[in-house]
Amino acid sequence: MILPTSEQKEQWEEEGYLVFENAIQGEDLKRLQTAFDYWADACKEEWLDRVEAGESVATFYDIPNPLEKDPIFIDIIDYPSYYGALMAFTDHDLILLGPQVRTVAPWPVSYTGWHPDVGHDNPLHIKVQIYVNDVEQGGGEFGFVPGSHKPDAGPYTRPTRQESMPGHKAFPGKAGTAIMFNSCGWHVSMDNHSDVPRKSIILIYEKRTPGRIGPEQYASISEYCQTPERRKLFSLDG
Amino acid sequence: MPRIDAHLHVFTKVSSEFPREISDVWPAEREESVEKLLDEMEKHQIDQAVLVQMAGTSIKQHRYLLHCLKAYPNRFLGIGLVPEGHPNPADHMAELTDETGIIGFRFSTFGGPRDIFAKMDVREFEAYPIWKCAAERDYVLWLYPNAINAHLLPYLIQEFPQVRVVLNHLAVCPGKGKFSWDKFGRPQIQVTGYNLTMHTTYRLARFENVNVHLSGQYAFSTEEFPYKDLAGWHRGLLTGFGAKRLMWATDFPWILEEPGYGKLTTVIEELLPDLSAAELADIMGGNAKRILRFPDL
Repeated sequence: MILPTSEQKEQWEEEGYLVFENAIQGEDLKRLQTAFDYWADACKEEWLDRVEAGESVATFYDIPNPLEKDPIFIDIIDYPSYYGALMAFTDHDLILLGPQVRTVAPWPVSYTGWHPDVGHDNPLHIKVQIYVNDVEQGGGEFGFVPGSHKPDAGPYTRPTRQESMPGHKAFPGKAGTAIMFNSCGWHVSMDNHSDVPRKSIILIYEKRTPGRIGPEQYASISEYCQTPERRKLFSLDG
Repeated sequence: MPRIDAHLHVFTKVSSEFPREISDVWPAEREESVEKLLDEMEKHQIDQAVLVQMAGTSIKQHRYLLHCLKAYPNRFLGIGLVPEGHPNPADHMAELTDETGIIGFRFSTFGGPRDIFAKMDVREFEAYPIWKCAAERDYVLWLYPNAINAHLLPYLIQEFPQVRVVLNHLAVCPGKGKFSWDKFGRPQIQVTGYNLTMHTTYRLARFENVNVHLSGQYAFSTEEFPYKDLAGWHRGLLTGFGAKRLMWATDFPWILEEPGYGKLTTVIEELLPDLSAAELADIMGGNAKRILRFPDL
């Protein structure tokens, strides 16, 4: 397990995010891209039907139940390059809430505005966004306001335009880049003015609280979760 | 400041003078006349209203709307319809707007790619000539997009930033097969618990020419008046669009029996209780007067 350096710990505390360049590379990245593209294509028509029926969002789509579709989507949950940091920041008591294997269309406006996901009364809630393709500036890259995760930060209000958020930082990156952030912090998907969809995976974690995720949630993939650590991460033992 | 009901319908019995389509809900003998509307408006201190055409898109089927606008020129403005696939929509629109009080047209489809990932050439959209005509002649576009059309809107809005756009009924985009009529004869739209429009029409707040109706709550809510389950939707629209781009409306006559016209004149105070008096006045009529250019009374 690769534990965070003292500099990384300090940045996490002060700024609320860490960037892991080349977090996934080589054959693993190819496996991830191949599985992503295959399943995104396979699931697209059903998603469009659901959009037409008013049952799904029109501006992006997630591959349903990705953990059941390819083991690479399980392997990235505890991937060595960032897993140590996740464990260190949660006192080695981490659970997975869920993955979002997401394709975001180029569109004149981003699909979401600046927001935090949770309040400060929530257990530590961490997301890791992994770029599956290269994401250029202006290509729907992740945006974050460093320091906005702190209880005394702000107040913040949502600007009409993404780039108007005071103090924000945008994170273009190569495929395989992973960006870890405290979900109390204000974040967004920047506008995608390119003609390239943004392909990324958003992994959602939390510091364990009893009963947060039941053992049935990930029972269907238990064959891939044989180690005590994985069983704990996927809440398979309750 | 006037109080303006920014979206409703009137119709009369079918006659040779006033032809219209019929249905189970608006059979030939049913009448929801402009005089009945005026009674309700009088009772509840509503000064003006937008009459929106229904039950037919042809010129002759607009006759009752045109009659109402002519009879009460200071009280009402009108929104017309265009037949789908009309070979020359500009002519149809011009005929209906020649000093008649009709200021714009209502649509729910735009004729572009179904797939948001497809290449978008707005000039290829079927609705492009209508938007172009609206831009040239200063018409208002009154939009209630189908769910599969919502992603097309920003391309048209970008192309025609001068066109005043009003998104109907909380900017909801109804899904295919999700429409029905309830026991009170009101439209019902089945929607998901998670508000999908946060990621489509709410995002159009970026464009200054886009406005939204706070109306139609009865059709989406799972509760009775005052539809508290939709308070979050209202707050979201207020946060995104601000109090200067929201317009209250009742969707008369569907609401006459339940909850009643009078109750709906209080729905904004119920769902947005923290509005200032000035903001409330804007939403209840000031914005409609400014954006739609209602005449002074």
